[in-house]
Amino acid sequence: MTRRPTWQIVLRYALVLIVVGLFTFPTYWMVTMAFKPKVEWSTAHGTIYWVPQNPTLENFETVLTEYRGKFFRANQSSALPSIRSSIIVSIGGTLFALLIGTLAAYGLSRFSVDTGDLPWYIALGRLALLILVLLPFMVLWAWLGIIRYWYGILSFTLLGIGADQLIGRLLALYYRGPTGSLAFSILQLRMFPPMAIVIPVMIMWSAFKLIDTWYGLVAVYGVVTFPFVVWLMKSFFDEIPRELDEAAIVDGASNWGAFFKVVLPLAKGGLASTALFVFILNWSDFLIALLLTTRDWPTIPVFLNSLVSSEIGAQHGPKAALGLLAVIPPVVFGILIQRYLVRGLTFGAIKR
Amino acid sequence: MASVRLENLRKEFGSVVAVKELNLHFPDKKFAAILGPSGCGKTTTMNMIAGLETPTRGSIYFDDRRMNDVPPGKRDVGFVFQNYAIFTHMTVAENIGFGLKIRGVDEATIRREVGQIAELLELTDMLNVNAGRLSVNDMQKVALGRSMIVKPRIFLLDEPFSNLDAAFRAYMRGELKRIQREIGQTMIYVTHDQVEAMSMADNIAVMDFGVLQQFGTPDEIYNQPVNLFVANFIGSPNMNFIPCYFRSEDGKGYLVQKRGNARILLDDRRRQLLEQHPGNQDLIWGARPEHLTLHSEPSRSEYLRATVRFLEPLGPKTVVHLELGDQDTIKVIAHPSYREKAGTVQWIEINPKYLHVFDAKTGFAIR
Repeated sequence: MTRRPTWQIVLRYALVLIVVGLFTFPTYWMVTMAFKPKVEWSTAHGTIYWVPQNPTLENFETVLTEYRGKFFRANQSSALPSIRSSIIVSIGGTLFALLIGTLAAYGLSRFSVDTGDLPWYIALGRLALLILVLLPFMVLWAWLGIIRYWYGILSFTLLGIGADQLIGRLLALYYRGPTGSLAFSILQLRMFPPMAIVIPVMIMWSAFKLIDTWYGLVAVYGVVTFPFVVWLMKSFFDEIPRELDEAAIVDGASNWGAFFKVVLPLAKGGLASTALFVFILNWSDFLIALLLTTRDWPTIPVFLNSLVSSEIGAQHGPKAALGLLAVIPPVVFGILIQRYLVRGLTFGAIKR
Repeated sequence: MASVRLENLRKEFGSVVAVKELNLHFPDKKFAAILGPSGCGKTTTMNMIAGLETPTRGSIYFDDRRMNDVPPGKRDVGFVFQNYAIFTHMTVAENIGFGLKIRGVDEATIRREVGQIAELLELTDMLNVNAGRLSVNDMQKVALGRSMIVKPRIFLLDEPFSNLDAAFRAYMRGELKRIQREIGQTMIYVTHDQVEAMSMADNIAVMDFGVLQQFGTPDEIYNQPVNLFVANFIGSPNMNFIPCYFRSEDGKGYLVQKRGNARILLDDRRRQLLEQHPGNQDLIWGARPEHLTLHSEPSRSEYLRATVRFLEPLGPKTVVHLELGDQDTIKVIAHPSYREKAGTVQWIEINPKYLHVFDAKTGFAIR
């Protein structure tokens, strides 16, 4: 192989540096800003400080304590409750999604009777039919005035599930081939933009009195990230040969025993990376938390938003400080499970 | 230990019939093999015996107890998979002791039993090694040990040695047979390798397309194949098949080659049998290459004339490929030093004792 000319090498590394710089600069700016005093982070002074001249911890102090009258005219609460809230709802939501999602994934991987790929027109047609069937009922429920109450929502949900099943069965009578698959339906949950469903969820949650509670948020986060868990874990379970479960079962283990003693330990690498992925999703969510919390349980992203208002102005320094703090948990989590993130731990169990 | 009896066992996967009305009786304390090409339903049969698959119809009995509704864990069977299914997140000792641990046996007993099994399989040095790091050969030993420790009534092995290297496979074959004889274990062994089945089993069930073709001792399977499939599947090189028809002349019966004029004189019993056979104009005679002898002179009139095409020297023997009549090829096993040139005319002697006659339409042997 001939050596490339020097200018090519230089150009290549220059390009790499530029791209890396573009991507890391915001992080750099946040980190430095967190340690800058107000004169340096605010633009009022008219000078841009690339490096903190007088490093200070006052931004952290500001954001972590109650109003001390230093910068804000309005009352400013501490970020500590929002940190607590973020930790509880993110971990709670992650655990919830992992619990139901992992079990569902195992079921789909091992016991699913769905076969074949669902054609798009069947998938969409089925959905359209369902909406068509449910629409009159929705009007009726609204007319009866019960859609605002928990029993109205619950009955309508059950009606929806029943109608979906009925449509599936009827479709199967006339259409030869796959008319629906549970795995696909679960993925379909993610096909709506969150914005489209979060308003109805807000109305439902308010009927169920789940607004501004940690368990209300945990439930939503669990449901929203559930499809990711199912699809990620299913692919990990699919890679574990069925013979391992069967060997455990023949040796006397129950299905649950085979799952917990053999399959799950072998999939722990996948479980760890799925957990991290879902945790980051929950941790960084802004929209759902904004709409479903009011006073007691706003999360860090929601709190960050409150640091910019007409009363207090844009508090870039404290925002950067809190942002820096918010980066810590995912990073620490990531480092802790780093060794599990390497896939391929289970390979070699079986000679193919 | 127990015997296994299958009654009208059938398994369908959607529209595919994997096993068709299977009736079999594997005797107690014997080594039985299910032999067949891939996709013949042998693994499905095994899975149904273990309880991993539910039969569509039919019954499975261990001794006289119907097992259809007994869950796999309660059937008291050991199962060794082709790909070992070793638990790579456990040590060798934990793998072997798994069945006992599931059954709630105390630690001390488990350790003792694991020790014994490890000694039997020469795994003692590796007990604390992570099972994922073992060689393929050792993995297979661990898989055997894990099934043996629960002292199953029936031991099921699904092509357990097909991934092993040749030398170790031969060694394990011997070991398995020794263990089977020593403890009088009922074993059912699935394989597509006739050598494995013939060398180890007391009884062989030959299957094809989900249908049992023949069940018998290795000798019966080899010497009295019931149909063309079994005759063709067993033996290497495989049996010669020559399409022919029956002719009676001067009170003597002959099998006349269709694509040529090679004639075989039949004994009286065969002549009478074939005279009464309705399809006697459409037959196939078969003879194993090892039961044919080559002569350079037509010293007897029954010898068949054939021309040497090419030789296959295999070391301990030489397979001679000859042309019989116009298009039929016939293989004969000759002495290793046999080196006749292509084109040489040779005379084939057929031992009537080892001659097989099949109905070409149905494929069944006529005897």
